[in-house]
Amino acid sequence: MDLLLARGYDVVSIDLNPPHTECTAVGIVCDLADREALDRNMAAIFAGGPYAVVILNAGISATGRFEKMPVEAYRKLMKVNAEAPMVLASALANAGALKGHLCFVSSLSHFTGYPGAAVYAASKDALAVYAKSIRKPFAKRGIAVTVAYPGPLRTEHAARHAPPGADAARRRDPALAARTMLDAVLAGKRVAFSDPRARTVAVAGGLLPGVMARAMRRVIFEKLDRDVW
Amino acid sequence: MKSRMLITGATSGIGAALAARYAGRADLLLAGRRPYEEVAATLPADAHYVVADQSEPERAAAQIGKALADLGWETLDVVVLNAGTGWSGDPATEPAASIRNTLDANLFAAVTLAHALAALLEGGQLVLVGSTARRGAPRFASYAAAKAGLDGLARALSEEWRGKVRVKIVHPGPTATGMHAKAGFHTGRARALFAPPEMMARLIERAIARRRIRRTISFPQYLAAAVTPWRR
Ligand SMILES: NC(=O)c1ccc[n+]([C@@H]2O[C@H](COP(=O)([O-])OP(=O)(O)OC[C@H]3O[C@@H](n4cnc5c(N)ncnc54)[C@H](OP(=O)(O)O)[C@@H]3O)[C@@H](O)[C@H]2O)c1
Repeated sequence: MDLLLARGYDVVSIDLNPPHTECTAVGIVCDLADREALDRNMAAIFAGGPYAVVILNAGISATGRFEKMPVEAYRKLMKVNAEAPMVLASALANAGALKGHLCFVSSLSHFTGYPGAAVYAASKDALAVYAKSIRKPFAKRGIAVTVAYPGPLRTEHAARHAPPGADAARRRDPALAARTMLDAVLAGKRVAFSDPRARTVAVAGGLLPGVMARAMRRVIFEKLDRDVW
Repeated sequence: MKSRMLITGATSGIGAALAARYAGRADLLLAGRRPYEEVAATLPADAHYVVADQSEPERAAAQIGKALADLGWETLDVVVLNAGTGWSGDPATEPAASIRNTLDANLFAAVTLAHALAALLEGGQLVLVGSTARRGAPRFASYAAAKAGLDGLARALSEEWRGKVRVKIVHPGPTATGMHAKAGFHTGRARALFAPPEMMARLIERAIARRRIRRTISFPQYLAAAVTPWRR
Protein backbone atom coordinates (compact mmCIF):
# COMPACT_ATOMS: atom_id res chain seq x y z
CA MET A 1 0.00 0.00 0.00
CA ASP A 2 2.84 2.39 0.92
CA LEU A 3 4.37 1.69 -2.45
CA LEU A 4 1.15 2.51 -4.34
CA LEU A 5 0.71 5.75 -2.37
CA ALA A 6 4.34 6.66 -3.03
CA ARG A 7 3.73 6.16 -6.73
CA GLY A 8 0.86 8.59 -6.63
CA TYR A 9 -2.13 6.25 -6.63
CA ASP A 10 -5.27 7.06 -4.66
CA VAL A 11 -5.69 3.95 -2.53
CA VAL A 12 -8.75 2.32 -1.03
CA SER A 13 -8.01 -0.35 1.55
CA ILE A 14 -10.35 -3.10 2.65
CA ASP A 15 -9.17 -4.34 6.01
CA LEU A 16 -10.19 -5.38 9.51
CA ASN A 17 -8.61 -2.12 10.70
CA PRO A 18 -8.66 1.40 9.24
CA PRO A 19 -5.37 2.64 7.74
CA HIS A 20 -3.08 4.32 10.29
CA THR A 21 -3.79 8.00 10.87
CA GLU A 22 -1.00 9.57 8.77
CA CYS A 23 -1.97 7.40 5.83
CA THR A 24 -4.00 9.05 3.07
CA ALA A 25 -5.70 5.84 1.90
CA VAL A 26 -9.47 5.57 2.21
CA GLY A 27 -10.29 2.71 4.55
CA ILE A 28 -13.25 0.37 4.23
CA VAL A 29 -13.40 -1.63 7.43
CA CYS A 30 -14.73 -5.08 6.68
CA ASP A 31 -14.16 -8.55 8.07
CA LEU A 32 -13.71 -10.69 4.95
CA ALA A 33 -14.70 -13.77 6.96
CA ASP A 34 -18.15 -12.23 7.40
CA ARG A 35 -20.32 -12.79 4.31
CA GLU A 36 -23.01 -10.28 5.27
CA ALA A 37 -20.39 -7.63 6.03
CA LEU A 38 -18.78 -8.11 2.64
CA ASP A 39 -22.13 -7.95 0.84
CA ARG A 40 -23.08 -4.85 2.85
CA ASN A 41 -19.80 -3.11 1.97
CA MET A 42 -19.94 -3.94 -1.72
CA ALA A 43 -21.66 -0.69 -2.70
CA ALA A 44 -18.99 1.34 -0.88
CA ILE A 45 -16.28 -0.73 -2.53
CA PHE A 46 -17.76 -0.07 -6.00
CA ALA A 47 -18.12 3.63 -5.13
CA GLY A 48 -14.35 3.87 -4.55
CA GLY A 49 -13.79 2.82 -8.17
CA PRO A 50 -13.39 2.51 -11.04
CA TYR A 51 -10.06 1.01 -10.09
CA ALA A 52 -6.97 0.80 -12.26
CA VAL A 53 -5.36 -1.77 -9.97
CA VAL A 54 -6.93 -4.23 -7.52
CA ILE A 55 -4.72 -6.35 -5.31
CA LEU A 56 -6.45 -9.10 -3.38
CA ASN A 57 -3.83 -9.80 -0.77
CA ALA A 58 -5.67 -10.52 2.50
CA GLY A 59 -4.82 -13.96 3.82
CA ILE A 60 -4.60 -15.90 7.05
CA SER A 61 -3.08 -19.25 7.91
CA ALA A 62 -3.56 -22.24 10.16
CA THR A 63 -0.54 -24.42 10.80
CA GLY A 64 -0.42 -27.65 12.74
CA ARG A 65 -1.71 -31.18 12.45
CA PHE A 66 -4.76 -31.20 10.22
CA GLU A 67 -7.07 -33.11 12.54
CA LYS A 68 -6.02 -31.21 15.68
CA MET A 69 -7.24 -27.80 14.61
CA PRO A 70 -10.83 -26.71 15.10
CA VAL A 71 -12.89 -26.81 11.94
CA GLU A 72 -14.02 -23.21 12.62
CA ALA A 73 -10.45 -22.08 11.95
CA TYR A 74 -10.63 -23.77 8.54
CA ARG A 75 -13.98 -22.19 7.82
CA LYS A 76 -12.57 -18.74 8.47
CA LEU A 77 -9.44 -19.48 6.47
CA MET A 78 -11.40 -20.62 3.41
CA LYS A 79 -13.58 -17.53 3.52
CA VAL A 80 -10.75 -15.02 3.87
CA ASN A 81 -8.23 -16.67 1.54
CA ALA A 82 -10.40 -18.02 -1.28
CA GLU A 83 -14.06 -17.13 -1.12
CA ALA A 84 -13.87 -13.39 -0.41
CA PRO A 85 -11.30 -12.59 -3.12
CA MET A 86 -13.26 -14.63 -5.67
CA VAL A 87 -16.52 -12.90 -4.73
CA LEU A 88 -14.82 -9.49 -4.84
CA ALA A 89 -13.16 -10.08 -8.21
CA SER A 90 -16.34 -11.31 -9.83
CA ALA A 91 -18.47 -8.49 -8.40
CA LEU A 92 -15.97 -5.77 -9.36
CA ALA A 93 -15.73 -7.05 -12.91
CA ASN A 94 -19.48 -7.39 -13.29
CA ALA A 95 -20.09 -3.87 -11.94
CA GLY A 96 -17.50 -2.43 -14.32
CA ALA A 97 -15.69 -1.05 -11.26
CA LEU A 98 -12.35 -2.40 -12.40
CA LYS A 99 -10.55 -1.58 -15.64
CA GLY A 100 -6.89 -2.42 -15.53
CA HIS A 101 -5.00 -4.87 -13.38
CA LEU A 102 -6.22 -7.52 -10.97
CA CYS A 103 -3.81 -9.44 -8.79
CA PHE A 104 -4.50 -12.42 -6.54
CA VAL A 105 -1.88 -13.30 -3.97
CA SER A 106 -1.51 -17.08 -3.85
CA SER A 107 1.37 -19.05 -2.36
CA LEU A 108 4.34 -21.09 -3.49
CA SER A 109 2.60 -24.05 -1.86
CA HIS A 110 0.65 -24.20 -5.15
CA PHE A 111 3.77 -25.78 -6.67
CA THR A 112 4.82 -27.99 -3.78
CA GLY A 113 2.26 -29.15 -1.24
CA TYR A 114 2.20 -28.02 2.31
CA PRO A 115 1.93 -30.73 4.99
CA GLY A 116 1.08 -28.97 8.24
CA ALA A 117 -1.06 -26.40 6.45
CA ALA A 118 -3.31 -28.53 4.25
CA VAL A 119 -6.28 -26.17 4.26
CA TYR A 120 -4.13 -23.10 3.75
CA ALA A 121 -2.61 -24.87 0.75
CA ALA A 122 -6.08 -25.81 -0.52
CA SER A 123 -7.27 -22.21 -0.26
CA LYS A 124 -4.24 -20.88 -2.13
CA ASP A 125 -4.55 -23.55 -4.85
CA ALA A 126 -8.19 -22.61 -5.29
CA LEU A 127 -7.26 -18.95 -5.63
CA ALA A 128 -4.48 -19.59 -8.13
CA VAL A 129 -6.71 -21.70 -10.36
CA TYR A 130 -9.61 -19.29 -10.11
CA ALA A 131 -7.23 -16.62 -11.38
CA LYS A 132 -6.03 -18.84 -14.25
CA SER A 133 -9.63 -19.63 -15.16
CA ILE A 134 -10.82 -16.04 -15.35
CA ARG A 135 -7.79 -14.64 -17.15
CA LYS A 136 -9.30 -14.93 -20.63
CA PRO A 137 -12.90 -13.94 -19.89
CA PHE A 138 -11.69 -10.99 -17.80
CA ALA A 139 -9.30 -9.86 -20.55
CA LYS A 140 -12.39 -9.28 -22.71
CA ARG A 141 -13.55 -6.84 -20.05
CA GLY A 142 -10.26 -4.97 -20.06
CA ILE A 143 -8.90 -6.62 -16.93
CA ALA A 144 -5.45 -8.23 -16.86
CA VAL A 145 -5.24 -10.96 -14.23
CA THR A 146 -2.00 -11.83 -12.43
CA VAL A 147 -1.33 -14.47 -9.78
CA ALA A 148 1.42 -13.53 -7.35
CA TYR A 149 3.49 -16.26 -5.69
CA PRO A 150 5.51 -14.68 -2.94
CA GLY A 151 8.31 -16.71 -1.43
CA PRO A 152 9.07 -16.55 2.30
CA LEU A 153 8.79 -12.93 3.46
CA ARG A 154 9.80 -11.31 6.73
CA THR A 155 6.26 -10.59 7.93
CA GLU A 156 4.45 -11.08 11.23
CA HIS A 157 2.33 -13.75 9.59
CA ALA A 158 5.43 -15.80 8.73
CA ALA A 159 6.89 -15.41 12.20
CA ARG A 160 3.70 -16.70 13.78
CA HIS A 161 3.43 -19.77 11.58
CA ALA A 162 7.05 -20.73 10.97
CA PRO A 163 8.55 -23.71 12.80
CA PRO A 164 10.94 -22.87 15.66
CA GLY A 165 14.51 -22.24 14.60
CA ALA A 166 13.46 -21.05 11.15
CA ASP A 167 15.91 -18.44 9.96
CA ALA A 168 14.13 -15.09 9.59
CA ALA A 169 17.20 -13.57 7.93
CA ARG A 170 16.67 -15.86 4.94
CA ARG A 171 13.24 -14.42 4.32
CA ARG A 172 12.87 -11.57 1.87
CA ASP A 173 12.21 -7.95 2.68
CA PRO A 174 8.46 -7.51 2.04
CA ALA A 175 8.88 -3.99 0.59
CA LEU A 176 11.32 -5.24 -2.03
CA ALA A 177 9.10 -8.21 -2.86
CA ALA A 178 6.09 -5.90 -3.18
CA ARG A 179 7.94 -3.73 -5.69
CA THR A 180 8.98 -6.72 -7.79
CA MET A 181 5.47 -8.15 -7.80
CA LEU A 182 3.71 -4.83 -8.45
CA ASP A 183 5.89 -4.26 -11.50
CA ALA A 184 4.89 -7.67 -12.86
CA VAL A 185 1.22 -6.88 -12.20
CA LEU A 186 1.42 -3.54 -13.99
CA ALA A 187 3.16 -5.23 -16.90
CA GLY A 188 0.14 -7.54 -17.18
CA LYS A 189 2.19 -10.67 -16.50
CA ARG A 190 0.32 -13.92 -15.93
CA VAL A 191 2.39 -14.71 -12.85
CA ALA A 192 4.50 -12.67 -10.47
CA PHE A 193 7.20 -14.13 -8.25
CA SER A 194 8.68 -12.16 -5.37
CA ASP A 195 12.24 -13.12 -6.29
CA PRO A 196 14.22 -15.59 -8.42
CA ARG A 197 14.35 -18.14 -5.61
CA ALA A 198 10.56 -18.30 -5.51
CA ARG A 199 10.55 -19.01 -9.23
CA THR A 200 13.07 -21.82 -8.72
CA VAL A 201 10.86 -23.44 -6.09
CA ALA A 202 7.93 -23.27 -8.51
CA VAL A 203 9.90 -24.94 -11.29
CA ALA A 204 11.28 -27.63 -8.98
CA GLY A 205 7.79 -28.34 -7.61
CA GLY A 206 6.49 -28.77 -11.12
CA LEU A 207 9.25 -31.17 -12.08
CA LEU A 208 9.53 -33.20 -8.86
CA PRO A 209 6.30 -32.87 -6.90
CA GLY A 210 6.90 -35.89 -4.65
CA VAL A 211 10.41 -34.85 -3.70
CA MET A 212 9.30 -31.30 -2.96
CA ALA A 213 6.35 -32.44 -0.81
CA ARG A 214 8.64 -34.65 1.25
CA ALA A 215 11.12 -31.82 1.61
CA MET A 216 8.31 -29.56 2.82
CA ARG A 217 7.40 -32.21 5.37
CA ARG A 218 10.94 -32.23 6.75
CA VAL A 219 11.43 -28.49 6.84
CA ILE A 220 7.99 -27.61 8.14
CA PHE A 221 5.63 -30.31 9.35
CA GLU A 222 8.04 -32.36 11.40
CA LYS A 223 9.33 -29.26 13.17
CA LEU A 224 5.98 -27.77 14.10
CA ASP A 225 5.75 -27.75 17.87
CA ARG A 226 2.38 -26.06 18.18
CA ASP A 227 -0.91 -25.66 16.38
CA VAL A 228 -1.54 -22.02 15.44
CA TRP A 229 -4.61 -20.55 13.83
CA MET B 1 -15.34 -59.31 7.14
CA LYS B 2 -16.39 -57.09 4.26
CA SER B 3 -14.73 -53.72 4.07
CA ARG B 4 -16.69 -50.70 5.17
CA MET B 5 -17.05 -47.92 2.70
CA LEU B 6 -18.57 -44.45 2.60
CA ILE B 7 -19.37 -42.86 -0.77
CA THR B 8 -20.78 -39.33 -1.01
CA GLY B 9 -22.80 -38.12 -3.99
CA ALA B 10 -23.92 -41.71 -4.57
CA THR B 11 -27.38 -40.82 -5.88
CA SER B 12 -26.45 -40.23 -9.51
CA GLY B 13 -23.67 -40.33 -12.06
CA ILE B 14 -20.25 -41.62 -11.11
CA GLY B 15 -21.09 -42.07 -7.41
CA ALA B 16 -24.12 -44.23 -8.21
CA ALA B 17 -22.01 -46.31 -10.61
CA LEU B 18 -19.35 -46.74 -7.94
CA ALA B 19 -21.95 -47.83 -5.39
CA ALA B 20 -23.32 -50.37 -7.86
CA ARG B 21 -19.81 -51.76 -8.45
CA TYR B 22 -18.99 -52.22 -4.77
CA ALA B 23 -22.48 -53.46 -3.76
CA GLY B 24 -22.28 -56.97 -2.31
CA ARG B 25 -18.50 -56.77 -1.95
CA ALA B 26 -18.41 -54.00 0.67
CA ASP B 27 -20.68 -52.71 3.42
CA LEU B 28 -21.83 -49.38 2.04
CA LEU B 29 -22.90 -46.14 3.64
CA LEU B 30 -24.04 -43.85 0.85
CA ALA B 31 -24.63 -40.12 1.19
CA GLY B 32 -26.70 -37.70 -0.86
CA ARG B 33 -28.60 -34.45 -0.57
CA ARG B 34 -32.07 -35.79 -1.40
CA PRO B 35 -34.52 -37.58 0.94
CA TYR B 36 -34.34 -41.37 0.99
CA GLU B 37 -37.75 -41.89 -0.69
CA GLU B 38 -36.59 -39.96 -3.73
CA VAL B 39 -33.41 -41.95 -4.28
CA ALA B 40 -34.27 -45.38 -2.86
CA ALA B 41 -34.79 -46.88 -6.32
CA THR B 42 -31.29 -45.96 -7.47
CA LEU B 43 -29.47 -47.34 -4.41
CA PRO B 44 -28.19 -50.92 -4.10
CA ALA B 45 -30.62 -52.96 -2.00
CA ASP B 46 -28.44 -53.60 1.06
CA ALA B 47 -26.74 -50.19 1.23
CA HIS B 48 -27.30 -47.72 4.05
CA TYR B 49 -28.20 -44.14 3.19
CA VAL B 50 -27.76 -40.81 4.93
CA VAL B 51 -29.01 -37.38 3.88
CA ALA B 52 -26.16 -34.86 4.05
CA ASP B 53 -26.43 -31.71 1.97
CA GLN B 54 -22.90 -30.45 1.48
CA SER B 55 -24.14 -26.91 0.87
CA GLU B 56 -23.92 -26.82 4.66
CA PRO B 57 -20.62 -28.59 5.22
CA GLU B 58 -20.52 -28.56 9.02
CA ARG B 59 -24.05 -29.95 9.19
CA ALA B 60 -23.31 -32.59 6.54
CA ALA B 61 -20.28 -33.80 8.51
CA ALA B 62 -22.40 -34.04 11.67
CA GLN B 63 -25.11 -36.00 9.83
CA ILE B 64 -22.62 -38.47 8.40
CA GLY B 65 -20.95 -38.78 11.80
CA LYS B 66 -24.28 -39.57 13.37
CA ALA B 67 -25.14 -42.16 10.72
CA LEU B 68 -21.81 -43.91 11.35
CA ALA B 69 -22.44 -43.88 15.11
CA ASP B 70 -25.95 -45.28 14.59
CA LEU B 71 -24.50 -48.10 12.49
CA GLY B 72 -21.90 -48.72 15.20
CA TRP B 73 -19.07 -48.37 12.67
CA GLU B 74 -15.89 -47.37 14.47
CA THR B 75 -13.62 -47.74 11.47
CA LEU B 76 -13.88 -47.04 7.76
CA ASP B 77 -11.75 -48.83 5.18
CA VAL B 78 -12.46 -46.53 2.26
CA VAL B 79 -14.08 -43.11 2.05
CA VAL B 80 -14.78 -41.73 -1.42
CA LEU B 81 -15.64 -38.04 -1.34
CA ASN B 82 -17.31 -37.86 -4.72
CA ALA B 83 -20.22 -35.42 -4.29
CA GLY B 84 -19.77 -32.42 -6.54
CA THR B 85 -21.62 -29.59 -8.14
CA GLY B 86 -20.77 -26.63 -10.34
CA TRP B 87 -21.90 -23.40 -11.93
CA SER B 88 -21.16 -22.62 -15.53
CA GLY B 89 -21.00 -19.30 -17.33
CA ASP B 90 -19.07 -16.04 -17.63
CA PRO B 91 -17.22 -15.85 -14.29
CA ALA B 92 -17.90 -12.12 -13.95
CA THR B 93 -21.62 -12.86 -13.78
CA GLU B 94 -21.45 -15.68 -11.25
CA PRO B 95 -23.52 -14.66 -8.21
CA ALA B 96 -21.70 -14.52 -4.86
CA ALA B 97 -24.07 -17.19 -3.54
CA SER B 98 -22.95 -19.57 -6.27
CA ILE B 99 -19.24 -18.97 -5.66
CA ARG B 100 -19.81 -19.63 -1.97
CA ASN B 101 -21.88 -22.75 -2.57
CA THR B 102 -19.44 -24.18 -5.12
CA LEU B 103 -16.54 -23.78 -2.70
CA ASP B 104 -18.58 -25.12 0.21
CA ALA B 105 -20.13 -28.18 -1.40
CA ASN B 106 -17.01 -29.31 -3.31
CA LEU B 107 -14.10 -28.19 -1.18
CA PHE B 108 -14.98 -27.13 2.32
CA ALA B 109 -17.29 -30.13 2.76
CA ALA B 110 -14.33 -32.38 1.96
CA VAL B 111 -12.28 -30.53 4.58
CA THR B 112 -14.96 -30.95 7.25
CA LEU B 113 -15.50 -34.62 6.36
CA ALA B 114 -11.79 -35.47 6.36
CA HIS B 115 -11.55 -33.68 9.69
CA ALA B 116 -14.57 -35.45 11.20
CA LEU B 117 -13.57 -38.91 9.92
CA ALA B 118 -9.82 -38.75 10.64
CA ALA B 119 -9.95 -41.10 13.63
CA LEU B 120 -12.18 -43.67 11.90
CA LEU B 121 -9.94 -43.68 8.86
CA GLU B 122 -6.76 -44.85 10.60
CA GLY B 123 -5.36 -47.70 8.56
CA GLY B 124 -7.84 -46.93 5.80
CA GLN B 125 -8.01 -44.85 2.71
CA LEU B 126 -9.41 -41.43 1.83
CA VAL B 127 -10.14 -40.87 -1.86
CA LEU B 128 -11.04 -37.43 -3.17
CA VAL B 129 -12.72 -36.99 -6.52
CA GLY B 130 -11.28 -33.95 -8.26
CA SER B 131 -11.54 -33.08 -11.92
CA THR B 132 -9.29 -32.38 -14.88
CA ALA B 133 -10.80 -28.87 -14.59
CA ARG B 134 -8.46 -28.35 -11.65
CA ARG B 135 -5.92 -26.79 -14.03
CA GLY B 136 -8.34 -24.02 -14.88
CA ALA B 137 -11.61 -23.74 -16.81
CA PRO B 138 -12.91 -20.34 -18.00
CA ARG B 139 -16.58 -21.33 -17.99
CA PHE B 140 -16.35 -23.29 -14.72
CA ALA B 141 -14.09 -20.93 -12.77
CA SER B 142 -15.30 -21.46 -9.21
CA TYR B 143 -15.66 -25.20 -9.80
CA ALA B 144 -12.12 -25.42 -11.19
CA ALA B 145 -10.93 -23.47 -8.14
CA ALA B 146 -12.67 -25.85 -5.76
CA LYS B 147 -11.21 -28.88 -7.52
CA ALA B 148 -7.72 -27.35 -7.45
CA GLY B 149 -8.26 -26.85 -3.72
CA LEU B 150 -9.02 -30.56 -3.38
CA ASP B 151 -5.77 -31.34 -5.17
CA GLY B 152 -3.85 -29.13 -2.73
CA LEU B 153 -5.62 -30.73 0.21
CA ALA B 154 -4.72 -34.20 -1.08
CA ARG B 155 -1.08 -33.30 -1.74
CA ALA B 156 -0.63 -31.94 1.76
CA LEU B 157 -2.66 -34.57 3.62
CA SER B 158 -1.19 -37.57 1.81
CA GLU B 159 2.20 -36.42 3.06
CA GLU B 160 0.97 -35.47 6.52
CA TRP B 161 -0.91 -38.74 7.08
CA ARG B 162 1.76 -40.98 5.54
CA GLY B 163 1.77 -44.31 7.42
CA LYS B 164 -1.63 -43.55 8.98
CA VAL B 165 -4.25 -42.94 6.31
CA ARG B 166 -3.62 -43.30 2.59
CA VAL B 167 -4.91 -40.16 0.88
CA LYS B 168 -5.49 -40.12 -2.87
CA ILE B 169 -7.05 -37.92 -5.45
CA VAL B 170 -8.57 -39.02 -8.72
CA HIS B 171 -9.18 -36.44 -11.43
CA PRO B 172 -11.82 -37.65 -13.90
CA GLY B 173 -12.05 -36.18 -17.34
CA PRO B 174 -15.41 -35.50 -19.05
CA THR B 175 -18.00 -38.10 -18.08
CA ALA B 176 -21.53 -38.50 -19.42
CA THR B 177 -23.51 -37.70 -16.28
CA GLY B 178 -26.14 -35.11 -15.41
CA MET B 179 -23.59 -32.81 -13.82
CA HIS B 180 -23.15 -30.44 -16.76
CA ALA B 181 -26.87 -29.91 -17.25
CA LYS B 182 -27.29 -29.28 -13.51
CA ALA B 183 -24.55 -26.64 -13.81
CA GLY B 184 -26.35 -24.98 -16.72
CA PHE B 185 -23.85 -26.12 -19.35
CA HIS B 186 -24.77 -27.70 -22.67
CA THR B 187 -22.21 -30.30 -23.63
CA GLY B 188 -23.27 -30.50 -27.27
CA ARG B 189 -21.69 -32.94 -29.67
CA ALA B 190 -18.49 -33.34 -27.63
CA ARG B 191 -20.54 -35.51 -25.31
CA ALA B 192 -20.04 -38.43 -27.67
CA LEU B 193 -16.44 -38.52 -26.42
CA PHE B 194 -17.36 -38.48 -22.73
CA ALA B 195 -16.74 -41.61 -20.67
CA PRO B 196 -19.83 -43.51 -19.55
CA PRO B 197 -20.11 -43.27 -15.73
CA GLU B 198 -19.75 -47.05 -15.41
CA MET B 199 -16.42 -46.94 -17.19
CA MET B 200 -15.29 -44.04 -15.00
CA ALA B 201 -16.31 -46.00 -11.89
CA ARG B 202 -14.29 -48.97 -13.10
CA LEU B 203 -11.21 -46.80 -13.62
CA ILE B 204 -11.67 -45.12 -10.25
CA GLU B 205 -11.87 -48.52 -8.55
CA ARG B 206 -8.60 -49.41 -10.23
CA ALA B 207 -7.02 -46.16 -9.01
CA ILE B 208 -8.22 -46.91 -5.47
CA ALA B 209 -6.38 -50.23 -5.58
CA ARG B 210 -3.11 -48.68 -6.77
CA ARG B 211 -0.50 -46.77 -4.83
CA ARG B 212 -0.30 -43.57 -6.85
CA ILE B 213 -1.43 -40.52 -4.89
CA ARG B 214 -2.76 -38.59 -7.85
CA ARG B 215 -4.41 -40.16 -10.85
CA THR B 216 -5.87 -38.38 -13.85
CA ILE B 217 -8.42 -40.41 -15.79
CA SER B 218 -9.03 -38.89 -19.20
CA PHE B 219 -9.14 -39.77 -22.90
CA PRO B 220 -6.07 -42.05 -23.06
CA GLN B 221 -7.49 -44.11 -20.19
CA TYR B 222 -10.98 -44.15 -21.76
CA LEU B 223 -9.49 -45.46 -24.96
CA ALA B 224 -7.52 -48.14 -23.17
CA ALA B 225 -10.61 -49.10 -21.17
CA ALA B 226 -12.82 -49.15 -24.27
CA VAL B 227 -10.56 -51.63 -26.05
CA THR B 228 -10.21 -53.92 -23.02
CA PRO B 229 -13.84 -54.66 -22.12
CA TRP B 230 -12.83 -58.00 -20.57
CA ARG B 231 -10.98 -56.17 -17.78
CA ARG B 232 -13.99 -55.37 -15.71
N1 LIG C 1 -19.16 -35.55 -15.18
C1 LIG C 1 -17.95 -35.10 -15.41
O1 LIG C 1 -17.62 -34.80 -16.57
C2 LIG C 1 -16.95 -34.94 -14.31
C3 LIG C 1 -15.64 -34.65 -14.64
C4 LIG C 1 -14.70 -34.51 -13.63
C5 LIG C 1 -15.09 -34.66 -12.31
N2 LIG C 1 -16.37 -34.94 -11.99
C6 LIG C 1 -16.68 -35.08 -10.57
O2 LIG C 1 -17.20 -36.36 -10.31
C7 LIG C 1 -18.04 -36.31 -9.18
C8 LIG C 1 -19.37 -36.94 -9.52
O3 LIG C 1 -20.00 -36.14 -10.51
P1 LIG C 1 -21.00 -36.73 -11.59
O4 LIG C 1 -20.46 -36.41 -12.91
O5 LIG C 1 -21.34 -38.11 -11.26
O6 LIG C 1 -22.24 -35.72 -11.38
P2 LIG C 1 -23.72 -36.01 -10.90
O7 LIG C 1 -24.31 -37.08 -11.70
O8 LIG C 1 -24.38 -34.68 -10.87
O9 LIG C 1 -23.51 -36.54 -9.41
C9 LIG C 1 -23.08 -35.70 -8.38
C10 LIG C 1 -23.49 -36.30 -7.06
O10 LIG C 1 -23.22 -35.35 -6.02
C11 LIG C 1 -24.44 -35.04 -5.37
N3 LIG C 1 -24.47 -33.65 -4.90
C12 LIG C 1 -24.51 -32.52 -5.63
N4 LIG C 1 -24.57 -31.45 -4.83
C13 LIG C 1 -24.58 -31.92 -3.57
C14 LIG C 1 -24.67 -31.31 -2.30
N5 LIG C 1 -24.77 -29.98 -2.16
N6 LIG C 1 -24.65 -32.10 -1.21
C15 LIG C 1 -24.57 -33.42 -1.32
N7 LIG C 1 -24.50 -34.06 -2.48
C16 LIG C 1 -24.52 -33.31 -3.60
C17 LIG C 1 -25.50 -35.29 -6.40
O11 LIG C 1 -26.78 -35.42 -5.84
P3 LIG C 1 -28.12 -35.41 -6.77
O12 LIG C 1 -28.26 -36.81 -7.29
O13 LIG C 1 -29.19 -35.04 -5.80
O14 LIG C 1 -27.89 -34.39 -7.86
C18 LIG C 1 -24.98 -36.58 -6.99
O15 LIG C 1 -25.20 -37.67 -6.16
C19 LIG C 1 -18.17 -34.84 -8.82
O16 LIG C 1 -17.27 -34.55 -7.78
C20 LIG C 1 -17.76 -34.15 -10.08
O17 LIG C 1 -17.26 -32.87 -9.81
C21 LIG C 1 -17.32 -35.09 -12.98
